[in-house]
Amino acid sequence: MTVKVEVVEGGIPHNTIMAAGLVASVIFIYLTYANVLTGTQLFSFFGGLAAVAAITWGSHTIKHLCSYGIGTGVPSAGMMAFGSGVIAMLFATKFGVASPIVAVVLAAIIGAVLGFLSNNVLNMRIPVMIQSLTEMAIIGALVLMGFAAMISGSFEFNPLTAGSVTILGLSLPSYQASFIGSSLIAVAFMLGGIAVQHPFNACLGPNWTQDRMLTLAQECGFLSMITAAVMSMVFLSFSAALVSVIVALVGWYYTYTKYIELSKRDAAAWLDAKPIPELEGH
Amino acid sequence: MDIPSTIAGIILLLVIVGATYFLVGAGMMFYALIGVIVGGLLIAFGVHFVPVGGAPAAMGQAPGIATGVAMLAAGAGLAGLFGGAWAAEQGLVVAVITGAVGGGLMMAITCMFVTFIYVFGMGIPCASGKVAKDPITGDTQTEYKSQGTEGHGLPFVSYVGGVIGGLLGGGGGTLIYIMLLDVYKEALPGMMKALPAQVLPIAVSLAGIFAVGMFLVNAVLTAYNITGTIEGPHDPKFKRFPRALVASAVASALCGMVAILIVAM
Repeated sequence: MTVKVEVVEGGIPHNTIMAAGLVASVIFIYLTYANVLTGTQLFSFFGGLAAVAAITWGSHTIKHLCSYGIGTGVPSAGMMAFGSGVIAMLFATKFGVASPIVAVVLAAIIGAVLGFLSNNVLNMRIPVMIQSLTEMAIIGALVLMGFAAMISGSFEFNPLTAGSVTILGLSLPSYQASFIGSSLIAVAFMLGGIAVQHPFNACLGPNWTQDRMLTLAQECGFLSMITAAVMSMVFLSFSAALVSVIVALVGWYYTYTKYIELSKRDAAAWLDAKPIPELEGH
Repeated sequence: MDIPSTIAGIILLLVIVGATYFLVGAGMMFYALIGVIVGGLLIAFGVHFVPVGGAPAAMGQAPGIATGVAMLAAGAGLAGLFGGAWAAEQGLVVAVITGAVGGGLMMAITCMFVTFIYVFGMGIPCASGKVAKDPITGDTQTEYKSQGTEGHGLPFVSYVGGVIGGLLGGGGGTLIYIMLLDVYKEALPGMMKALPAQVLPIAVSLAGIFAVGMFLVNAVLTAYNITGTIEGPHDPKFKRFPRALVASAVASALCGMVAILIVAM
């Protein structure tokens, strides 16, 4: 099954997207650290932008891998990314400020081992298998860390596991009211997993175009970011959560209109069929 | 089977197990790693039984359930995991059996409604393309098979395979969850300087998300082994399972080591 069924023609080369996605994602995650430096929570929305950058890179990696016809369906690649990424991300949160770097390194190791197992032990024999699964694990870890930073305002283990509940004006520490304790990480897992696999699944085919798929990836990322921003209202101050919601909504609206434009450009013909036709004379 | 790579994989497995033994000693954490590896093996072996049809099955051109391994694993396996998690307080054996029953039940229901839709909705009989006679019932298959297809619907042996796969997958997923939950319940109170009851949500959440992650990794590795589709235990692809067991043992050991070190370091 090593017949390459599609080729990347023109457009931005994969390595450029990979480098840009990795650098942008790590930098955006570090920008949420401005929360700690300035003592506010207003910079949490950078976590969502980190997730969007990683998801955009991830959709192109999936395109790179799945163009070899791996036979298991595109969603399996997204699930693999987050299954391996969540393990690296949770372990890395223990390392304080160095967490994003540790997450990238550890995810790369786990991904490379999984790639070796798939390619050599399971005999897949796909040239880009090891590189792609390494990238996928890093993407999974970065997306989860981005959403964690966005929802709880931090990417370190202690703030992610400890929260507080206010009962009758009294603030009590509670481990249940935290990003990990309330299992919001499972929601972030699926929000990212579906956003990363959907763009290629939706755009694949003979008239695949790179800019359309990447725009859809950004749109999916911002859509997940809206949900994450709403969830962040539990943990962050209202103004910080509001900033996240506005950034996510603006980003989603911009990428959505752009995606519709690109879809019309690539379509052979299109008809603006109204969802409910207005019937006259009844 | 690629012998040098398989040997390299087994050496990697021994290195990971040895490194964990060196880091945490022969205590509960080390036995938890062994439990995680056994759970991973059960999942990988179980997925081979599940009749995964993929897109051709949805068009009635191949037998099996009309979706991919990732979706079936998430549906049946995680249903078992959640079932087992409810019984976590009843002890290891009861919880693992409950998880297995949950996964098997979910697959049985899925297979039944898939057959309903194939037979009454799409109007196709159930026929295997890989064997002339059903190994369990002895029914002949070729008369019912349409020309140009690899069979269609869900033959009886695939149904039984699906239930066995659900049992193994659900049990394996629950085993991973229980093993990690015990480690976290033991280690987290000391690490976070809090009462055991206070950190229980953290322990449950961490063990749950790690179990889900490992479940998906093992399921997708197995999907790569069967290149996406399989009819059930009678399919010739089923014989490929030894190499999936090697890959799954290494992957589970690596992920399990990281999951255990989060509280051991």
